Amino acid sequence: MSTSHNKKAGEFLKKGDYVSWHDDTFWSVRKKRDAISAEIPEWEQLRNLASQIKQHTLSHLDKYLVEFTDNLERNGVTVHWADDAGDFNRIVLDILRGEGVKKMVKSKSMLTEECGMNPYLEAHGIEVVETDLGERIIQLNKQRPSHIVMPAIHLNHNDVGELFEKELGTEKDNHDPTYLTYRARLSLRNEFLTADAGLTGANFGIASTGEIVVCTNEGNADMATACPPIHIAAIGLEKIIPDPESLAVFHRLLARSATGQPTTTFTSHFRKARPGGKMHVILVDNGRSSWLADEDHRSTLKCIRCGSCMNTCPVYRRSGGYSYSYFIPGPLGINLSMLRDPKRYADNVSACTLCLSCQGVCPVKVDNGDQIYKWRQKLDGLHRANPVKKMMCKGMKTGFANKHLYNFATSRLHYLNNLPEGLLDNRLNPWAYAHKMMKFPKRPFHSIIDSLEAEESYKNQKP
Amino acid sequence: MSKEAILDRIRRNTLKRYDMPVLDSLHPLTYPDTLGRFIEAAIQSGSRIISLENGSTVNDILRREFPENARISSNLPGVEANINPDVTTSPAALDGIDAAVVQGTLGVAENGCIWIPQTMTNRAEMFIAETLVIILPANSVVNNMHEAYKRVKVSEKGYGAFISGPSKTADIAQVLVMGAQAARDVLIILT
Repeated sequence: MSTSHNKKAGEFLKKGDYVSWHDDTFWSVRKKRDAISAEIPEWEQLRNLASQIKQHTLSHLDKYLVEFTDNLERNGVTVHWADDAGDFNRIVLDILRGEGVKKMVKSKSMLTEECGMNPYLEAHGIEVVETDLGERIIQLNKQRPSHIVMPAIHLNHNDVGELFEKELGTEKDNHDPTYLTYRARLSLRNEFLTADAGLTGANFGIASTGEIVVCTNEGNADMATACPPIHIAAIGLEKIIPDPESLAVFHRLLARSATGQPTTTFTSHFRKARPGGKMHVILVDNGRSSWLADEDHRSTLKCIRCGSCMNTCPVYRRSGGYSYSYFIPGPLGINLSMLRDPKRYADNVSACTLCLSCQGVCPVKVDNGDQIYKWRQKLDGLHRANPVKKMMCKGMKTGFANKHLYNFATSRLHYLNNLPEGLLDNRLNPWAYAHKMMKFPKRPFHSIIDSLEAEESYKNQKP
Repeated sequence: MSKEAILDRIRRNTLKRYDMPVLDSLHPLTYPDTLGRFIEAAIQSGSRIISLENGSTVNDILRREFPENARISSNLPGVEANINPDVTTSPAALDGIDAAVVQGTLGVAENGCIWIPQTMTNRAEMFIAETLVIILPANSVVNNMHEAYKRVKVSEKGYGAFISGPSKTADIAQVLVMGAQAARDVLIILT
């Protein structure tokens, strides 16, 4: 009965205190988001506008991408179009080889994770250094991110301290976050100043001005583009927005939804190469243009990657990022993974209680929970439906469709209580998994209600 | 190349077109005391703020804040700096400087952001300095990002940023630390 998510979540839950810390940490981020959004009376109106702007832009991508590209090219920026991940990786490598780049610093980009860029470049002899502190930590620890905004959230200060002792030569047993951050700063400062190129992702691409917009708290995207002479920006097609007035709407929502801050510390706009430098923008499709035609799941393309759906998700909070088989976890990751390869990632759709809390907080109103529900309906067609559940559903369909059968069965279920415990309370019975099997009541609920109602109407008849 | 193929695919897969919403329908939050709210938000983001008193100058403040032999970078006319980012164009040559003094052109009350367009050749000064000193006219403060994005423009040099406070991170165990990769201290001088 278990899915791979289910099994990995079981492993995660063995970590005791850490599980409550993980749960509490994300819940407090959710509460910060609630508090700061409540300060903005027009918050819901902003969410509506953001959703509508994205819907409009995604249905006019042909026009906006051309406008975006024309403006960039007018400013001397080289624009590349990548069909898929392989295409993207080759373009980056070509640029780097053409410029004789040996080392590249980069800021956080989920797109480069999606395309597997780092391993590809490293296999071709390019050194890639992550400069977001969380990303740097997991790069040194040879892991993938466990959250899109807080990538190293699965490690505590002792884990990081021990890692830095080994990798950066920090003082033994000094696991103070301020000290460790300072030592990472010194080490990364050296990387920035000795790299030949810097790569950034993009939170937004503004069509009317041809600008790449990158939001960070650390300023690492700015260091990565102000120090080395070459800037490469990687951007998914869906990140285009019409104009700066639209950006104002997204800007007000992004950091408040992500971490409960009123803004990220840096909102950096790049329009052209800096004096004496070169700038390349790579527009990446990798499935996106096909997803546009998928009515049920297209709205996933509206996502601005704030992570609020993960922070609020009761399953994510209690199962951790690594229990999902896709590199993006949580409600968003489930849907992205299913768009990417539904057969391969079908196990993720079990990681949802359909509470729809994710839809309540999403700043651009992506219907993550509804989509997961729809994917579940498609599992049988993908030959990924669970056979036990299928059988149970068939049985329930027969039982629930026939009143007499239903009444007969429910009135006698309590006899099962007399069976020896081991017969029902075992791992073959999914209802008895991870907790004791329930006891069936002597009288079914609807029969209790019937007699209560009869009593009530008898009382009412009395003069 | 891929461009036409991708655009073709997009056109083929765009089944329905939706209108752009009317943004003017929004009446965003404004503040009775815009400057007061800006100062509050800036302090919350970790910045320090000094208002220029009558008769005192930016240089008076710099002399008070930094030791005599401090390495200070600026291309602003009248600012007493010993490094000029239009002349020292190597980012590495700026490593370890004590301060960079830059001109902010607009402040935002709702979040403490300040718009800094690139006017210098070597913009690394803004991030590589230990302290970023931002000179901001008090009458440039607007209420919110909607007003801000109607006014700001990326400079001819091709870069501009909203900055609110020192570089920060909470990537180690969710503990907030000031001074991740860029300036560890931001001093705003209101003029």
